[in-house]
Amino acid sequence: MKLNRRLMISAFGLSLAIAMPGFASAEGLIAIITPSHDNPFFKAEAVGAEARAKELGYETVVMVHDDDPNKQSELFGTAIARGAAAIILDNAGADATVAAVQRAKDAGIPSFLIDREIKESGIAVSQIVSNNYQGAQLGAEEFVKLMGEEGQYAELLGREADTNAGIRSSGYHDIIDQYPDMEMVAQQTANWSQTEAYTVMETMLQAHPDIKGVISGNDTMAMGAWAALEAAGRTDVMVVGFDGSNDVRDSIKAGGIKATVLQPAYRQAQLAVEQADQYLKTGSTGVEEKQLMDCVLINGDNAEQLETFALSE
Amino acid sequence: MTPARTALVAGALACALLPGCKIVPNPDPESDAAAAPMDDDQRMALQAAQIFDERLPAYVQDHVVDAATLRAALADGLDTAGTAHGIRPGSEGSPWNFVLRAEGQVVEADRESRAASMVLDSNGDGQGDLTVQLGPVIRGTALRDALDFLIFTDFRDQIEFAKLARALNDQAHQRLALPEGNLVGRSFTVEGAMTLPSVDEPWVVVPIALSEVAP
Repeated sequence: MKLNRRLMISAFGLSLAIAMPGFASAEGLIAIITPSHDNPFFKAEAVGAEARAKELGYETVVMVHDDDPNKQSELFGTAIARGAAAIILDNAGADATVAAVQRAKDAGIPSFLIDREIKESGIAVSQIVSNNYQGAQLGAEEFVKLMGEEGQYAELLGREADTNAGIRSSGYHDIIDQYPDMEMVAQQTANWSQTEAYTVMETMLQAHPDIKGVISGNDTMAMGAWAALEAAGRTDVMVVGFDGSNDVRDSIKAGGIKATVLQPAYRQAQLAVEQADQYLKTGSTGVEEKQLMDCVLINGDNAEQLETFALSE
Repeated sequence: MTPARTALVAGALACALLPGCKIVPNPDPESDAAAAPMDDDQRMALQAAQIFDERLPAYVQDHVVDAATLRAALADGLDTAGTAHGIRPGSEGSPWNFVLRAEGQVVEADRESRAASMVLDSNGDGQGDLTVQLGPVIRGTALRDALDFLIFTDFRDQIEFAKLARALNDQAHQRLALPEGNLVGRSFTVEGAMTLPSVDEPWVVVPIALSEVAP
């Protein structure tokens, strides 16, 4: 079944590869692979990368791996079969992705990673990630301020296989744990998922009705938690997210969620394409492989300026 | 060939035929290797201590900028000052970092907080203009980011790189020798690292060296 599907995809890829030259653009094909666009963050990445690639004269193919390393591997197969010039990737796991990126490299296709790192350097050409530690500290400082430096709170963690879940949590705690009157009563993963966060939040509320704040590893989980809190009539609870999505921006403006941390996702994706273009033309990006991009705190003061993971001046 | 060596060779041969078999010398119980393998925190703490011992003195000498010089340069804009005196990682949007030397009188001090600090007047106008983080809790990654030999690519991931920043801050705190009692009114010379995201951002340094100036 699986083999069949893979063969079909490869066959499809091959026929496309043969058919392509007819309408291929001068610069070649860029494959853009991200997690599911259900999360607007990943959609913004794909849109940003695609727009920049087209501006630079590339053909694009946009694919999603749904955080499944096996599916990601199939998509790499497709990209290789189609003779992509470069791959822009937000990956499906720091460990599991190493082999896929290596396979592309062996086939002569350079990969440019955004948002999430892999646990090896020297395989991808670029790994451009948000400065999650810096961003998490910004979010945590705002959270502590909102909480008046005291009270019970819960933390929603992201997917464990994703380095970003761990780094944000340690950034949060490097700040929050300095305040002895801040008491974490629950800490649980909701795997970046809005629906899962809703359920987790319901359970947490039952076990800890005195909860005063929730700090979340991303915005979709913050949205899920906020929906559960609203349903339970607990709109007094302070929620802080991470990403800078339009959904959370609107919630902040409506007096719901209190703050989030903007990752420059749109620019990050564009930058990855620019580095791919430079690498393809000159053999070098001119910068270090691993790059950190600073994050910005978003609250009631600047939420107005936020649009699709970018802050207007 | 001595019998011992023969045994060793035979053993090695046997091992070669047995996948997964490896000769591991018994660790010397006196050496560090005898200790349990170090975790991330321990490795980064060791690396931070080595940086302070072996690299920082020369690095500070090469990169330090006097507060008055920096203030004058900043009048021409952050990028001008940064290009002349600062350190910045290659990634887009990274802020400038500086290794600063300043002298001033303490106008404000908080030794009670876990994030203790003191504020110096470094330009003699009677106003505090430079916050020195005293710890034990020291915020930010200024010290790590001001050291241009620390490259993110050389680290396993953001978690390890963050732990190094934290360990450097811990070293900065541990190596401070502060006089007892009220700090306000006393004068200090400080060398430290700061990140400056914009020209009008307050100056907050992580101290690398701090000494009292005799009254």
